[in-house]
Amino acid sequence: MFDFLIGLLPHLLNGVALGLLFALLSLGFMLIIGVMEVINLAHGSLFALGAYFAVMLMGQDGGLPFAFMQSYYDLPAIPRYIIALIVAPALVGVVGMGLEICLRRTYGKDPLYGLLLTFGAALVLEEVIREIWGPAEYFLPLPKAISGGFFFGDLIYSNYRIFAAIFAMAMIGLLWAFLNRTPYGAVIKAGAHDSEMVRVLGYNLSRLRLYVFAFGAALAAIAGIIMAPIWGVRPHVGVDAVIPAFVVIVLGGVGSFWGAVSAGLLVGMMVALTAAFLTEWSLLSMYLLLLVVVTFRSRGFAGKASALEQ
Amino acid sequence: MSSKITRRSMLRGTALATVGAAGAGATFFGPWKHNRVYAAGTNKPIKIGLTHDASGQFANSGQAEKRGTIMAIEEANAKGGVLGRQVEYVWMDTETTPQTGTRVAERLITRENVHFLVGAIQSGTANAISQVAQKYGCVYFNTNSSSPTESGKNCHRVKFVWDGSGENFSRAAAKNAIDAFGKKWMFLYNDYVWGQNTNKATKMVATQYGASTVDEVAIPVGTRDFSSILLKIQQQKPDVVAAAVGGDDFKVMRKQVSDMGLDSKPAWLNNQQDWPDIYGLGSDAAFGVFGTTWYHLLDLPGVKEFVGRYQASYPTTRIAVPGNVTYNGYIAMRELLRVVEETGGTDNTKIIKALEGRKMSATDRMQTHGAVIDPDSHHVQQTVYLARRNKKPKDKTDYFEILSAADPESVRASADAACMLESFAKTPSYDQG
Amino acid sequence: MSILPQALSARLANWFTAPMLVSFLVFGTMPFWIDAVGLYQYLGVEVMIWVIFALAVNLLLGYTGLPSFGHGAFLGIGAYAYGLTQFNVAANLWISLLGAVVVTAALGGLVAALISHRRGIYFALMTIACAQIFYFVASKWTDMTGGEDGLLNILRLPVDLGLTEFSIKSNFNLYYLCFAAYVIIVVLMWRLVHSPFGQIIRAIKQNDSRVAFLGYNVWLYKWLIFTLSCAISGLAGALFAMAQEGAYINIMSLQWSGIVILMVLIGGGFINFWGPVLGVIFYFLARDILGAYTDTWLLWFGLIFVIMVMFKPEGLAGIWHDAQSMFGRRKAKPQPDPSAKPSHAGGD
Repeated sequence: MFDFLIGLLPHLLNGVALGLLFALLSLGFMLIIGVMEVINLAHGSLFALGAYFAVMLMGQDGGLPFAFMQSYYDLPAIPRYIIALIVAPALVGVVGMGLEICLRRTYGKDPLYGLLLTFGAALVLEEVIREIWGPAEYFLPLPKAISGGFFFGDLIYSNYRIFAAIFAMAMIGLLWAFLNRTPYGAVIKAGAHDSEMVRVLGYNLSRLRLYVFAFGAALAAIAGIIMAPIWGVRPHVGVDAVIPAFVVIVLGGVGSFWGAVSAGLLVGMMVALTAAFLTEWSLLSMYLLLLVVVTFRSRGFAGKASALEQ
Repeated sequence: MSSKITRRSMLRGTALATVGAAGAGATFFGPWKHNRVYAAGTNKPIKIGLTHDASGQFANSGQAEKRGTIMAIEEANAKGGVLGRQVEYVWMDTETTPQTGTRVAERLITRENVHFLVGAIQSGTANAISQVAQKYGCVYFNTNSSSPTESGKNCHRVKFVWDGSGENFSRAAAKNAIDAFGKKWMFLYNDYVWGQNTNKATKMVATQYGASTVDEVAIPVGTRDFSSILLKIQQQKPDVVAAAVGGDDFKVMRKQVSDMGLDSKPAWLNNQQDWPDIYGLGSDAAFGVFGTTWYHLLDLPGVKEFVGRYQASYPTTRIAVPGNVTYNGYIAMRELLRVVEETGGTDNTKIIKALEGRKMSATDRMQTHGAVIDPDSHHVQQTVYLARRNKKPKDKTDYFEILSAADPESVRASADAACMLESFAKTPSYDQG
Repeated sequence: MSILPQALSARLANWFTAPMLVSFLVFGTMPFWIDAVGLYQYLGVEVMIWVIFALAVNLLLGYTGLPSFGHGAFLGIGAYAYGLTQFNVAANLWISLLGAVVVTAALGGLVAALISHRRGIYFALMTIACAQIFYFVASKWTDMTGGEDGLLNILRLPVDLGLTEFSIKSNFNLYYLCFAAYVIIVVLMWRLVHSPFGQIIRAIKQNDSRVAFLGYNVWLYKWLIFTLSCAISGLAGALFAMAQEGAYINIMSLQWSGIVILMVLIGGGFINFWGPVLGVIFYFLARDILGAYTDTWLLWFGLIFVIMVMFKPEGLAGIWHDAQSMFGRRKAKPQPDPSAKPSHAGGD
């Protein structure tokens, strides 16, 4: 029994790390669905685009072939990585803005149209990626400081996973603080429930939506950069991201920040434990969990009423 | 109607343009040959339907084999064609999807009237194409799908399988691994038909040589996180981990294994490493011991020249040197065209009979041992190389260190015994003239 | 029609409409001209099968307002069930077809029982989850389904009509089997959506709490329509298994479930009964024609789709309606003939 518990411990810790990554994966999706009631199926493509931009900014294989970039690629890995973590999401944010401008025409209609538009956009973005970077696999080089293995008793764990989990925690905390401790957050949250209120407060609603979408896209890109060293970078990698994000949001409940975070943790734990002890069922477990929870709790853990239910 | 003309002329245009660019001035054969062929009844080009994936999970490998098949076609055209006839190709994306494979095969046979079909990576798509091909009697070359069932229970009279199968690679690796690394084995496999069959074969061979099974783990297709499994491996401490994990799952596993620094501690036995799946990632991405049918730095006659011709044909391709997938495509196509030349036409029965039991010399195939097309399973029996990461690379494409070259007879797959070819009487005769 | 007595003519008009007859004429003659326009017989077979499937999907999406995002699973289940009935029960076309329809309807009914109390996006999500479960089971259970290799060597069994039988080995003949299925499905479906039952499901789309308030059992109606849609998808799946002479798993993936929704909507399934038919034709033609010019045809198709959602969300049927009303306005009131007037009684 004791041996079993000792054996279980690393899997529990791994489950938490994985859960944080699932939560990180869903942040951008959550923001857009929560504030704008748009199910952004292009989330995965924006995620992939973030990873590709980061590859481009890290240089080595996949860098831009321009001479003026060379002195930039000569920088040490750490500053390049930090730049990639800032610039790539910003670029994806711009792409997100373009998408939001297209989406405007669907506002006030059946929410299905928003979903369909983003589905079409996902097809387009994936093909564009395939055209630009080709079908082959890329990898995102990492600074030495966050790669390699970490000794955990006689077990080895990945340093990068530890970094990624801490990073995810920080992102969750920052996003929460932004939404709850800044005036911008208050406006965004107001937009989620009452667009009249936003106007009364003197903000331009369409500009707010533009920025929120860009912000959501940038969060997708950040998740893409963080997941790139774990999943690899290939044109259809986005599909791997959008489905778990979807599951996490529905489990947590549309419109609930902590619902999504706790659902992410639960999914991570579930996947980690089933992968360790019932590997064959580890992928199904996520969907079974979803079926069971949504059968008994229609809006997930903490969902609010939403136009999406119509 | 317009789309038909456009597609044909466009493809022919590109085919000829590239031939021209490759420096073949005399693509249009002289009047004498022309007359001879005319007398024989036809001067129309030999048309080959290429069924290579350009999208879906195996898009990258599909494009790699396409480079190989087209290279062989262009070389044949540069020599004046086959039987004095030009060789043309029509390529359509099979999208790594069986239903697309079916439609493409139907279209190529019934509308484009191709003489032959060539190309496959994924077994489902290969099966879909081969069923259509068998229905019409059109000879089909499965260039790169290595599922043991392809030349086993799903074999067909018109289908020829050019890659080594999962079982060939298992057989090559298992004995060596026991001697070198130990007897406590753990088996990981992707829980779908290729993984299940390959794992069965590996386990059978390993057990024969005295391995004991610590654990056997079925990994669902689409798994993106291996951390739990890697922790479990560390807890169980096997000597050898024999993995039959394929496609994107393998790429993801590879990343995560090297990320945790586990690529050397237990010995990893990976079934096959396709070149397009590793190129660009550096030699560090090659982990464990794995099989391949060919490597661009083999010290054999013709290899260097072949690599040179590839680079001349594809100067801008990201994959700067050909690997096993391109090689299989090239060799298969070259052999097809030779057989057409030898049999003097495109009649399917004559072509099939010429291919069955066909021997190919080691030099000709740029491999260590000679190869033969097994007449009962239509599976090319060839050299299987074992390789691992190269710690002292000669150049930046030198990822592999070749450990051994197994003789085809010693790695013969038992799954091939399940093959029951249709009789010639039941195979429609097919000749597009 | 004026020769017929008024009453009979009216009754026939209940069953057959002008667009329906046009579709019968076009599809009924297709094998005779498809080669001449540069296409091929198999494409016709596939279009016919996808039309049936898309109509089944639209029964949920367009008429009841239930977005099923996992319907590809039922097409796949129908195909497997057809093959497995053929191999294990009886090698008879009708029995195998029945097997496909019954098995798909049963599994569909099971799923429907789990999800019929849901609406909107939660409904869509649950269909995705169920479809994924079916996908994994099919992928894993290789003894039954053949997994990635596919369930192979499914036969195109002869069509036994008692006194006579004919072979469907050629694509030409198979096409007419599919066409017969299409005719039956279209006629019955048209009747269904214009029956009192059809009115209720359309009311459910508009406002299901009001329907419940009026005393109807909304859950039961949703369950029925979902199960029916699955049964029709199962039939399409069986035809697909015959066409491919095999059943493959890829069709059950979410991607294909998404693409059928895309076909339905680009055609205008929300506003018109014929939307899915237009959408399927558009998809397959676009793929063949765009595919001839470019390797990245999906990019252009995706762009067309995005633009369509932005500017004409009613799809091709919407464009048709616009063209018609423009035409009608210019040609001030042509001879009014109610029996020949195409009725666009779609979802809305």
